[in-house]
Amino acid sequence: MSASQSAVRSRAEAVKVSRMFDWFILWAIFFVVLGGYHIHYMLTGGDWDFWSDWKDRRLWVTVAPIVAMTFPAAVQACLWWRYRLPFGAVVCVLGLLLGEWINRYLNFWGWTYFPVNFVFPSIFMPSAIVLDVVLMMTGSMTATAVLGGMAWGLLFYPSNWAVIGPLHVPVEYNGMMMTLADLQGYHYVRTGTPEYIRMVEKGTLRTFGKDVAPVSAFFSAFVSILIYFLWHFFGRWFSSTDFVKSA
Amino acid sequence: MAATTESVKADAAEAPLLNKRNLILGVLLYVVFYAWVRWYEGVYGWSAGLDSFAPEFETYWMNFLYIEFVLEVTTAGILWGYLWKTRDRKVMSITPREELRRHTTHWVWLTCYATAIYYGASYFTEQDGTWHQTIVRDTDFTPSHIIEFYLSYPIYIITGFASFLYAKTRLPHYQQGLSLQYMVSVIGPFMILPNVGLNEWGHTFWFMEELFVAPLHYGFVFFGWAALGILGVVNTEVQALSKLLKKDLA
Repeated sequence: MSASQSAVRSRAEAVKVSRMFDWFILWAIFFVVLGGYHIHYMLTGGDWDFWSDWKDRRLWVTVAPIVAMTFPAAVQACLWWRYRLPFGAVVCVLGLLLGEWINRYLNFWGWTYFPVNFVFPSIFMPSAIVLDVVLMMTGSMTATAVLGGMAWGLLFYPSNWAVIGPLHVPVEYNGMMMTLADLQGYHYVRTGTPEYIRMVEKGTLRTFGKDVAPVSAFFSAFVSILIYFLWHFFGRWFSSTDFVKSA
Repeated sequence: MAATTESVKADAAEAPLLNKRNLILGVLLYVVFYAWVRWYEGVYGWSAGLDSFAPEFETYWMNFLYIEFVLEVTTAGILWGYLWKTRDRKVMSITPREELRRHTTHWVWLTCYATAIYYGASYFTEQDGTWHQTIVRDTDFTPSHIIEFYLSYPIYIITGFASFLYAKTRLPHYQQGLSLQYMVSVIGPFMILPNVGLNEWGHTFWFMEELFVAPLHYGFVFFGWAALGILGVVNTEVQALSKLLKKDLA
């Protein structure tokens, strides 16, 4: 091609074309990341996210933020470090939420008839906003990992409290004490139901009492910091533009 | 003056940079087709999809599977064959305007790929979770698997490879070799399909209960990470587009 030729007729057309590619890029990143993030999340933390009776004070609080930290860290590594766009985590979480809500409504409710107040997804938006704001304010990967990662884990339970709180009130049913969420689970038996009943009854959950959720959140925050570091570097690798040359 | 008029006429007559009709029809194709598929699942999942030994299961689900296999192989053969057969053998000598036009067409392909990935990895995969936590499976080919594994995954594989082939055969920027992240973003999600073998093998041990977070499913997770290769594809495209537009945007 000739270097003297231009691809566009005017500066105005160049600006228009540039904006057009912005939209293309946004669509591709949003939906491909949505797909990758959603399949990752549903298969590593999914059951805790699907069902309200799995949304307990210990493993849900621990597992969900840890496994959800991955894609936001990687996408931030591209969008911030290459383009100074401070919304990598929010893009991921918005995508995840959209994918989950469409599914919970059209499939969990629309195909298999679980009520939506039994299958609503977890909320990550406050954690994602804080993660992006910390990155934008500090411009530091280390500070984002430590401060943002800590906030990511600690904010998860409070963010979800308004929704899950009413389902954690105790009820007595056939002489047994349980939460309202447990009661939902008893009425909507699933093929995987016995597994989780066995899991939550292990350990010292009852002995620790009210401290279980904060302890779990703190542990989750600690691991989220480590996951952020790891996935930041994954994100950098995925953002590379290398070509494999033929031998 | 006459020459200027001719030039304006030529500009008006040339193909637009973005073929909006292809973009809208491309995305609509997935949306409308999958809306029909979801309707089919809703009607025949419950009425004919609960018992794989029943004659109606063969009629409504196994025949669906056989038909989709044939259509997918045919579509892949025709589409990939067409893209390869009509490749540009003088790709390095096209004008910058033509290169820009091809980049927009490439982005139409990527938009379709993103849409197909959404349906495969998000919509139909999580749908499989609720179906198998509701219905005890008695076959590998359950209604949700027939749609998820053997329809929505092949469709994004066909679209992804088509997009990759388009870039490789028509865009000068991709002539320097094979784009590593492009291959990752296409081959990684493709590997989810062979991983179905592991999944089904595992479910011959644990067919009775579905636990989505079971380690048996981690193969899907690993290959799902490869979707992040789209970040490298975007960066590669931005490099190519910057070369084309930078001096006009300065």
